[in-house]
Amino acid sequence: MKEVMLDCLGEACPVPLVKAENKLNTLDVGDVLIVQIDHSCAMKNVPEWARKEGHNVEIEEVDDGEWEVIIEKVK
Amino acid sequence: MNLYNNKFYQTWVKNAWPYVTGAILLSIFQIATLASTNDPWGVSGALANWGAWLYQLVGGSVDKWYYFSSAGAQETLTNGFLKDPGSIRNLGVIVGALLATLLASQFKIKKIKSGKQVVAAVLGGLMMGYGARIAFGCNIGALFSGISSLSLSGWVFALFLFLGAVVGSKLLVKYFM
Repeated sequence: MKEVMLDCLGEACPVPLVKAENKLNTLDVGDVLIVQIDHSCAMKNVPEWARKEGHNVEIEEVDDGEWEVIIEKVK
Repeated sequence: MNLYNNKFYQTWVKNAWPYVTGAILLSIFQIATLASTNDPWGVSGALANWGAWLYQLVGGSVDKWYYFSSAGAQETLTNGFLKDPGSIRNLGVIVGALLATLLASQFKIKKIKSGKQVVAAVLGGLMMGYGARIAFGCNIGALFSGISSLSLSGWVFALFLFLGAVVGSKLLVKYFM
């Protein structure tokens, strides 16, 4: 079980979503992917996609206009 | 009590409003725009005027340009920024967006990630600006206002907007990621 950081700061939609999808594909079940974003629309579409896929998702606001989407791969 | 945890602050100011709420508000305001200015809501047309005014500031002239050749376009340019409803409205969009991010304390100056990102942004901006002008409208003037006034051109615009977005996304993923 590892924890992987994905730096998407400064990236606009849909880049964070595509990067998160690609990265999650390379991980194993039980691994945690932390996507760092500062684009508010990615704060909506990244968690939406991950929840739809059935993963556990948490959003943390780490600074003004900066979030970490924490995704635990469950399948 | 901490404002940050206040229920009303969270719902109204901090969190994004639902899409349906946005759609209803946009509809109401675009009807108000059409009723009060006699022009449907548009965004990129006013930006073309901004370009013309900037060009005039550095000594250029657009009098002979086909795009600005109509009497109406010349009148808008002569009357200036403060008498152009579209320009004031665009300013309102920018100030309103700034206010919303500040109130939600989500304002952040983002760093530029790479040279590639700059190239993509400049290319994308030029293509969108040029495309919006030769199509006589962007996704607001041609699509939103077009469809809401029951014009077939809005639907044609929608179809090609969709096709363009598919091609654009593929190019983005292939060359700029």
